[in-house]
Amino acid sequence: MGRLISGWVGTLLVGALFGFVIASAAGVVVQDSGLFGASGESPIARAYMLGLLERNPNSIVSIRPNLGIAQRAAELQGADTSRNASAITPLSLTYIGGASAGPYAIHIYAVGLRNSQGVDQFFPLALTIAGGKVIRSE
Amino acid sequence: MATLGLFALGILTGVVVHTFVDKGPAENPYPALPKVEEPQVAHEVVEAIGKDEPQTLAKLMPAQMLTDLDTALQPIIDVRTTKFVGAVESEGRLLSAYVVTGKTTEGADFVVGFVLRVANDQVVGVN
Repeated sequence: MGRLISGWVGTLLVGALFGFVIASAAGVVVQDSGLFGASGESPIARAYMLGLLERNPNSIVSIRPNLGIAQRAAELQGADTSRNASAITPLSLTYIGGASAGPYAIHIYAVGLRNSQGVDQFFPLALTIAGGKVIRSE
Repeated sequence: MATLGLFALGILTGVVVHTFVDKGPAENPYPALPKVEEPQVAHEVVEAIGKDEPQTLAKLMPAQMLTDLDTALQPIIDVRTTKFVGAVESEGRLLSAYVVTGKTTEGADFVVGFVLRVANDQVVGVN
């Protein structure tokens, strides 16, 4: 009886794992293709952009390549200075689009900012994502 | 039969669990600009890139912009495909975005994204 129950539980677990993987793969395909109204925007790319605009390096530490301690300290200093001076006011964040090829995905944004002199700036940022991390931002 | 039923139930459970775990992108607290059509002048530039026509490209862009384009396409040196992914406009300034796939100098497949800045029906910058 015990073996029978463990067999049932095993079948159920394998099925659940299979269903989870299938749903994940289908989600990625739908996101990338823009089907069913999906924008194709990656949650990682969005989180990275929000971290940049909010000048909060800690919020994006897990989704970008590892930096040395001196680089991380300099980044925190820069973020503090920028926040204290209220140097930048984000005006807009627009996901323009993206595509993927093999392990790489490109996500392109348009950012509107007002700098400390009150001048509006409008510029793009292209993120390259691989392995769940932003490996390039330009 | 019972085993198949259990397996199907497991699949259903997995799909339900995934819908709770996968939350999608976080809320965007900033306004998003509406998309616009691809500017014709940007289309011509990218068409020249896709068709590997340096003569056409030389007529469409000044030297500095060609250098910027080269930097934006790095490390791709052999373009295989170009794809327009979208364009947005703010106060007369247009950003037209593209994704390019191709081969690096080592022959590896790679993908890069770049953006053409357009104003007054002219390409005025490359990012």
